[in-house]
Amino acid sequence: MKSTYLILTLIIGLLLSSSNTKHEYYVSVTNIEYAKEQQSVQIISQIFIDDFESLIRQRYDETITLAEADEPAIVDEYMKRYLEDKLKIKINEKSYEFNFLGKEYKEDITYCYLEIENIKDIKSISVINRILFDILPDQQNIVRLKMLDKNKSFLLIPENDECMLNFN
Amino acid sequence: MKIFKFAFGAMLFVFASSFAQNDIKPERKPGHTNQNKFKQLYDEFATPNMFRTGSGAPGPAYYQQQADYKMDIEIDDVNARLYGQETITYTNNSPDELTYLWVQLDQNMRAKDSKTPLINSSGIGPATSASRAARSYLKEPFDGGFNIEYVKDTNNKDLPHTINRTMMRVELPKPMKTGDQFSFKIKWWYNINDHVRDGGRSGYEYFEENDNRIYVMAQFYPRMAVYNDVEGWQNSQFWGRDEFALPFGNFDVNITVPADHILDGTGYLTNREEVYTKKMMERYNKAKTSYDKPVMIVTEDEARKTEKSKSTKKKTWKLSAQMVRDFGFATSRKFIWDMMAVKIGDKDVMAVSMYSKEGNPLWEQWSTRTVASTLKSYSRMTFDYPYHKAISVHAPMGMEYPMICYNFGRPDENGNYSDRTKYGMISVIIHEVGHNFFPMIVNSDERQWTWMDEGLNTFVQYIAEQDFGEWNPTALSPGHDKYPSRRGPAKNIVRYMGGDQDFIAPIMTKGLNTYQFGSNAYSKPATGLNILRETIMGRDLFDYAFKEYARRWMFKHPTPEDFFRTMEDASAVDLDWFWRGWFYTTDYTDIGIKEVKKFAVTNNPNENGKKLAERYNMDPNALVYFIGEGEEGYEDALNSASTMEDFATVKEYIMDNFTPEQQKNMKKTPKYFYQVTFDKPGGLVMPLIVEYKYSDGSKEKITYPAQIWRLNDKEVSRAIATDKEIVSITVDPDLETADIDTSNNSWPREVQESDFDKFKNQIKN
Repeated sequence: MKSTYLILTLIIGLLLSSSNTKHEYYVSVTNIEYAKEQQSVQIISQIFIDDFESLIRQRYDETITLAEADEPAIVDEYMKRYLEDKLKIKINEKSYEFNFLGKEYKEDITYCYLEIENIKDIKSISVINRILFDILPDQQNIVRLKMLDKNKSFLLIPENDECMLNFN
Repeated sequence: MKIFKFAFGAMLFVFASSFAQNDIKPERKPGHTNQNKFKQLYDEFATPNMFRTGSGAPGPAYYQQQADYKMDIEIDDVNARLYGQETITYTNNSPDELTYLWVQLDQNMRAKDSKTPLINSSGIGPATSASRAARSYLKEPFDGGFNIEYVKDTNNKDLPHTINRTMMRVELPKPMKTGDQFSFKIKWWYNINDHVRDGGRSGYEYFEENDNRIYVMAQFYPRMAVYNDVEGWQNSQFWGRDEFALPFGNFDVNITVPADHILDGTGYLTNREEVYTKKMMERYNKAKTSYDKPVMIVTEDEARKTEKSKSTKKKTWKLSAQMVRDFGFATSRKFIWDMMAVKIGDKDVMAVSMYSKEGNPLWEQWSTRTVASTLKSYSRMTFDYPYHKAISVHAPMGMEYPMICYNFGRPDENGNYSDRTKYGMISVIIHEVGHNFFPMIVNSDERQWTWMDEGLNTFVQYIAEQDFGEWNPTALSPGHDKYPSRRGPAKNIVRYMGGDQDFIAPIMTKGLNTYQFGSNAYSKPATGLNILRETIMGRDLFDYAFKEYARRWMFKHPTPEDFFRTMEDASAVDLDWFWRGWFYTTDYTDIGIKEVKKFAVTNNPNENGKKLAERYNMDPNALVYFIGEGEEGYEDALNSASTMEDFATVKEYIMDNFTPEQQKNMKKTPKYFYQVTFDKPGGLVMPLIVEYKYSDGSKEKITYPAQIWRLNDKEVSRAIATDKEIVSITVDPDLETADIDTSNNSWPREVQESDFDKFKNQIKN
């Protein structure tokens, strides 16, 4: 492969072939922080634009192109729907839904901003992250938890898609 | 002038507060080896020798092997097979005696028994699509390996040979001595892979409409491995990722394809009149002098007509190339073909594009123009492009061969394309055409060092992209005043540099074994060179040295040390510290301001000052004292002092030591004194770039060379004396050093909004 540039359609199912793909090391990064004063859990998920585009095309709408001036508003809906489906967060052993605040594109990455409000205290947090596992068998998801003086990263794969932190 | 130079050598200026007595003896630390970040790279670098000198140039005993090929190739378009017969003439220029040769069989990576699929970890997810499951677990694997029919000498005697996956050892009838030549013949065939479905850097794309294929061929023949002074035989297996190491040679290749195909490839077309129609010849002759717009050799209308039927006749295209390390060609009945001349030095080079209707309207507009622009930019940064043409072929991949490369970028069925598609296509063409320089001509070992061609190429790509935008403003989308390059600027690498250390490898790692291949082998080295050029060396010194490296190693095989050494040898800039940090480690830049202390000046010592004078047995009246903010006497000193000149001791010293003329020219005397302490949480050494902002609104940027960190890698202080009050200080104000954490870069500390809050506020408004 060269130029690490890529051909979207190609990625899919190419788990054994190592060439021609843009970023062979399929990985998303999700940062989760707790802002205590604001009582808010703040989440930024970083997903390669071409992966996300390919996902949305396969799952929802073939005509979508991301990061264009005329990107339809429905894209946010798709992203929200997908993330709600694939990113599950439990705090103090209770499941929470997050607000999808929006997304922005920087270079080749989509940054999705999610928030869970009214969290007064955190004793434990667990995260299931299955982002892109449905279309990219080699996908790996890094989850970084930064809260209450702890700062820990986890690498999640399809066979091990959950991580947790306890604060005692 | 704002910073007062402490020129009064004889006078004892003391920062009184910094002499706190410390009587507690520290525990004795164990000894250590030289861990200094500025230590020269004697341990990492190979010892210079007669093959490769300490200056980074080829030495007096430098040699390289040569492999010349004569080939007859035929493509069976019905079965998608390639049949070939070749005679390789190998010349041993090494001082060593060779008893066997190694030949590369790259297509064996696709053999049924290939081990490539076995080195990637895999798992079973809870669910997968039916078609993927079928492909992974049910389908008979595609057999795309070489079928070697024979290996013979020129007397048709079989040569014993052993195939170890993608490498074949051929036994020599008698050892080859220095200067010996040996010719042998190989006959083979293989099933061509569908590179869209199965991946690969070569193969065909299938079009259901009219049942057609576009072939973009490479690694299609058994190729000689490199033998050199560094590796011996470079016979590291081809696993599919690390690319190639190949010797230079001359090629004569006859390629037989269906008569309605259009074909182009590496080398001069020697039977142009046989394979071109009269009309094509006329257009070709016109293209030779068309410098401003491409001339169509085969138009879209003609190609649309041709692809509707299939000729059963055959045609042979004859190509001849000198001093190339490899050979590639593309062939299809779908091809549209255009050409445009471009002046490089005093020579005309032909910029060529081949594409199917699926690539239009993007390809007819920008492909050939991008090729021409790229050749100009790269020639300026290295050497004049020495070949006679450069071809860009439309295929959904990005891959380079001498004089020909395969590039993606396809509009949708209605001919619409996004900005991402357009810029992606232009960038990939620049990148792949650029590979003609690195590694096709500056022929580094890609199998071992991906960064040597990808990193250097991506660096020049950035410059060529900026040139392209400047020269072709109509190619830019509305709202863009320059080409939106993704790689190059330091700030773009921060995300990678600040990422999880578990998933980062040093650049000096074999490509196969790196994480985040693109960032590791492309972006990071390219960004490092950009930092050297823009911030550390400056463009003049950098460009001269970079060009010298390209010139020295043009048509030769350089190693990393040859590059590192040449950059220093030609510029007199010691860069060992930079190579060590940026290329040999995963360290990152993080430099901050730890503390800013203000001082007032006085000739009235406080208690501390008196003690100090006593300790050094000096006359307390001969000293000038600096009292730190918050210390006893600070307020008094600040209020009483006008400028330092007012103090008798200073005045006397000046009058005794300087002529009236000199005194007149003396710079303004300072009133404000600061001690600024910078700390460096990051492991990388970088120049300390500081912007001081004064109360009158003026700014001053000072770059302290990286060597400021040589004696203390964690923390350094600077004393600043100025006639104006400092209101703020910023480290790396223009984001030149890839500092991964800028929250500590300013004084007074700016409370930085988190990325999350920034976004939230932004959408609120």
